[in-house]
Amino acid sequence: MTRLPVLGEPAVLDDVGPPRRGRAYPAAGATSALVLPAALLLGGLVLWPVLRTMHASVTTGGRWVGAAHFREALAAPGTGAVVGRTLLWALLVPAVVTGLGYLLAASSRRSHEGGLVRLILVVPIALPLVVTGVTFRLMYDPDPSRGLATLVAARLTGRSGDQVPQLLGPRLVTVALMSAFVWAWVGLAVLVFRAALDRLPSSLADAVRAYGGTRRHVLWDAQWRPLLLRTVAVVFALVALGTSRTFDLILVMTPGSVRDEAAVLALRVWQTSGGTTTGEGAALGVIWLAAVAGGMLVAALFVRQAWPPPRPAEPAGPDPGAAPPPRLFRLLAAGAAIAWLVPLAVLVATSLHGPVDAAARGWWSAPPNLASYRDLVTGSELWRALAFTLLLATVVTATVLVVAVLAAYPLAWLTGPAAQVTGLLLMTAVVVPVQVIAGPVNEVLGMVLSSGTARGLALVHMALGVPFAVLVLRNAFADLPADQVRAARLAGRHWWGTLRRLARHSRPAIVAVSVLEFVQVWNDLVVGLLFSGPDAAPLGLFLAGQTRGFVANSGALAAGSVIASVLPVVLVVLARRHLVAGLVSGGVR
Amino acid sequence: MTPPGRVRRRTLLRAAAAGTVAATAGCTGGGRAVQVAVVWSGAELARFREVVAGYDGPVQAISAGNDIDAFLRARHLAGTSPDVAILPRPGLVTEYARRGWLTPLPAPPGYTVPGGMGDLLTDRGQRYGVWVKAAHKSLFWHLPSVLPQPPATWDDLVALTRRLGARARRGDGPAPLAIGAADGWVLTDWFENVLADVAPDAYDALAGPDADWQGRPVRDALDRLAEIWSVDGAFPGGARRALLTQFEESVIQVVHSRRAAMVFEGDFTDDVVHRFQRGPEAPTTFRFPGNRADGGPLIVGGDAAVAFAPSGVDLVAWLTDAAAFRPWLRSGGYLSPSVTVPLASYADPVRRRLAGEMRTAGTLRFDLSDRLPGPFTGTDGVGIWRIMQDFFADVTGGVRAGEAIRRATGQLAAAARSAGGGR
Repeated sequence: MTRLPVLGEPAVLDDVGPPRRGRAYPAAGATSALVLPAALLLGGLVLWPVLRTMHASVTTGGRWVGAAHFREALAAPGTGAVVGRTLLWALLVPAVVTGLGYLLAASSRRSHEGGLVRLILVVPIALPLVVTGVTFRLMYDPDPSRGLATLVAARLTGRSGDQVPQLLGPRLVTVALMSAFVWAWVGLAVLVFRAALDRLPSSLADAVRAYGGTRRHVLWDAQWRPLLLRTVAVVFALVALGTSRTFDLILVMTPGSVRDEAAVLALRVWQTSGGTTTGEGAALGVIWLAAVAGGMLVAALFVRQAWPPPRPAEPAGPDPGAAPPPRLFRLLAAGAAIAWLVPLAVLVATSLHGPVDAAARGWWSAPPNLASYRDLVTGSELWRALAFTLLLATVVTATVLVVAVLAAYPLAWLTGPAAQVTGLLLMTAVVVPVQVIAGPVNEVLGMVLSSGTARGLALVHMALGVPFAVLVLRNAFADLPADQVRAARLAGRHWWGTLRRLARHSRPAIVAVSVLEFVQVWNDLVVGLLFSGPDAAPLGLFLAGQTRGFVANSGALAAGSVIASVLPVVLVVLARRHLVAGLVSGGVR
Repeated sequence: MTPPGRVRRRTLLRAAAAGTVAATAGCTGGGRAVQVAVVWSGAELARFREVVAGYDGPVQAISAGNDIDAFLRARHLAGTSPDVAILPRPGLVTEYARRGWLTPLPAPPGYTVPGGMGDLLTDRGQRYGVWVKAAHKSLFWHLPSVLPQPPATWDDLVALTRRLGARARRGDGPAPLAIGAADGWVLTDWFENVLADVAPDAYDALAGPDADWQGRPVRDALDRLAEIWSVDGAFPGGARRALLTQFEESVIQVVHSRRAAMVFEGDFTDDVVHRFQRGPEAPTTFRFPGNRADGGPLIVGGDAAVAFAPSGVDLVAWLTDAAAFRPWLRSGGYLSPSVTVPLASYADPVRRRLAGEMRTAGTLRFDLSDRLPGPFTGTDGVGIWRIMQDFFADVTGGVRAGEAIRRATGQLAAAARSAGGGR
C-alpha cells in the first residue's frame, strides 16, 4: 500500500497493531457524547425492558418467587415440543439453506444464465415474510381445486384429493413452514457464497492442480480451508438467528387448529404473555433470550477472523480464462431458478382473479381479470396503510441513519477489548427478540408519550434498528484506508467536517444500512402487531388481518401482497451488492 | 391526532403521574370530542360513525382492532384510556370493573334487554356496562333447493346428517354439514347450543367461579356433539379438511360451491353469504334444533359499552336509546339487544324475525366462551378453542366417544383451574 508522506503524522502508527481494526486515531473526548442518542434509545427501549423482563420472570407482583415461573413454564403441556421445534428450526433450516446456497452459488458462477438465476433467487429475500406466508398458503391449500401442491400430489400419487397428505395439516405444518422459510432465505446464502468465491484467488487452485491435486483437493485446499469454512459459519449463524423471525410466517400460514403443532418459542411467549410480560411468559422469554444470546456468542467466537477478507489490490473481476461449471451443475441452477419462480407465479396468478373466483376455484381454471386489484385500489384502507408505512419507514430510516452515524464515529476508534465488548453488546441488542420485551417497552412508551400511536411505533422501530446500523457503520469507518482517514482529518476543521468526509467514503455501508432498515420496517409484522394502535396501521398488519378469513379474502390478499412487495423488491435488487457486504460485516465482526 | 387530543394527552400524562386519572379526565370534559374505542373496522366502523353522528357533541370513534383487551391495557398503562369502549366480551367488563378502571352507570330508562343479559354487566351490585349490539348465534344456513325440508329436532338433524352423509360417501350429493373447525369459536358455539339445550340450568354456572367442567351436563353435551361429528361423510373433504377450513370458507361451501347442504353459525354469516352467493337463490335459515320441535336453544352474543371516565357516561346512556341505532337498523346487518326497539323498524327481514325470536325464546343463554376467565376464553391455539378442536379431531379420528369426552373434560377442568375459575 502506498503512503503519501504527511507532515507531522507518524506514518508508522498505521502499521502496528491489529491490521484492520481500531487505528490509533483517538476521537476527541467531546465526540464521545455523540453516542448519547443511540445509548438513550437502546437503554430505554432495549436494555431496561430486558432487565424488566428478567425481573418479571422471578417475581409475582413485585414479590420474589425464585424459579417458580420457570418450573411452571417448563412443566406446561407442550413446552418440551415447542423448545424442541425451536431448536430444530435453528439447526436444520440453516444447514439446508447453507448447503443449497453453496451449491447454487457454485453452479451459477461463470455461466451465461448465472446472473438471471441469482436475480430470481434474490427476489424472495426482499418479500415481507407475510407475503411469503400468503404465497405458500395459497400453494399448499388442502383443497385440490385451489392448492397447486395438493393437486400435483394427488396426480402423482393417484389418490383422491382428500387422501393426500395435507401440507398444512398437523403432521406436516412445520415442514411446510420450513420450506417457505428456505425459499425466502436461500438467495441471501447464494449472494454471500458468491462474494466469497469471487474473492478466492484463482492462482491458489492452479497451484493445487500443478501439484497434481484432484478436484477434491482443489475444493479442500484452495476453497474450504482459506475461506469457505468461515463463510459457512457466517451463513449458518445469520440464518440461525433469522429463524427467530418464523413468527410472522406461523401467524400467516397456520390455521388456528394447527397453530400448536407449529408453535415455536416466539409464538408461545406471545400467546402466554399477550400485551404484558409477566410470570410464565417472562420466564419463557428469558430462556429464549439466553439461548439466542448464547448462540450469537458461539457464532462470534467461531468467526473471529474478519469476513469478507481484505480487498485484493486489483479488483479481481470475473476471470476470463476460468471454465463454466459442468453441465449437470448448470442444469441444477436453472432448475432451482424455475422452482423458485413457481410460488411467485402462484401469487401473481391468484391476484389476477376476482375475490369470488380466487376463493372458489383454482387460478388455472378461470380467466384472469383485475377485479381484486380494482377492489383494493378503490378502497381507502390499502392507500392509508401504504402511505402510513411509507412515511414510517422513511422517518425511521432517516433517524436511524443519523443516530447510527453519530454513534459509529467515536466507537470506530476504540481498540482492543473495548472494541470487542461494544461489538458484542451491540450484537446482543440486535438479536433480542421483540416479543420478549413487549410488555416493558409498552410501559416505557406509556411514560414518554403513548403506546399505540404512530410515534411510539416509530420509536420502537428505531430502537430495534439502531444497534445493527451502528455495527455496520462502525466497521465501515474503522476499515477505511488510512489515507482517506488522514485526509479527512486534515481537511475537516471540526469533528462534523471529518465525519462528513468519512461518511462520503463509506457510501456502500450507508446505502446498505438505509436499504436494510427501510425494507425491515416496510416488511414488518411483529412490531406492528405488538405496538400499533388505531392511528398506526402498517401494511404488514393490514395484510395479516385478512388472513383470519384466508380463503374468502385470498384474491384481495394476493393482490395486496403483490402491491406491498414492489418497493422492497426493487430496492433490494438494486442494492444487492452493497447489502451482502453490509449485512455480513455488521452481523459477524 | 387533533389538537384537543394532544392537549388532553399531556394533561392526562400529568394526571397519571399524580395517580388521579379519573379526577382529571372529568375536569377536561368541556368541548372536546368523546373518544370511543371499538373492535369494528371497515364498513361496520363507518356505520358506527353514522350512528354517533346523531349525538349532540363531537365523537371520535377509533378502531382498536381485534385485540381490544391488549389495546385498552396498554392505554391504561399509558394513562390515555378512551372515554368509552365497546367491548365484545362481558368477561372484560367485570374484569375491568373489579380493577377499578370503569365508571359506574345509572340505570338507563326505557332500556330492557332479554332475561339475564343485563346482570352480566354488573359487579357487586353496580352496573358498569350496557348492551349496544346483539348477535343471534343459533342458526343453520341452507339453500332451499339443496335442503327443502329442514330438520325440526336434534334427532332429525342427526338422522338427516347420517342419510346425507351416506349419500355423499357414494358420491351423489353434497355432504350434510360444512364446519369451519379451523376457527375454534365455531366449535365452542356448537358446544354452547347443545349445552343450552341438554342442560339449560347448568349452563350459567359454568361461567362462574365454581364451574364443574367434569360434571354430567358437560359430558352429555359433548356426547351429543360426538354423535353428530363422528358421522362418516358428514363434512365435505372429510374431517381432516374441516380442521383446516375457516368459518368463511365453510359458508362458501354451502352458498357457492354447494359441496355441503348446511352450515351452522350466527346472524353475521349473511355478510359472507352476500359476497359469495351464486345465482338468484338466497339461502334461508332454521333455528338450531333442540329436544323439542318448538324452539331449540338460543345463544346470543353481544357488544357492551362501558365508560372509562365520567366524561363518557352521557354517550353510553345515549347509546341505550332506541333511536340511537336507527341508521344501523335502516342499513341492515344490525340486531339490537333492546326489546323496546319496535320490530317494525328493522329494514332487514331476517333481523326482524331474529329480533322477534330473541324476545320470545324459552332458553336464551349468553355466549359462554365470552364469559370465561383469562386465557380460558380462547383464541387460536389457546383455551377452550383449542380443547374443542382436539375433541373434534378425536371424535372424527376414530377415538371412542367415551375416551374423547374423558380427555376433553379433563382438559376443560384443568384450563378452568389455571385461569382462576372452576373446581
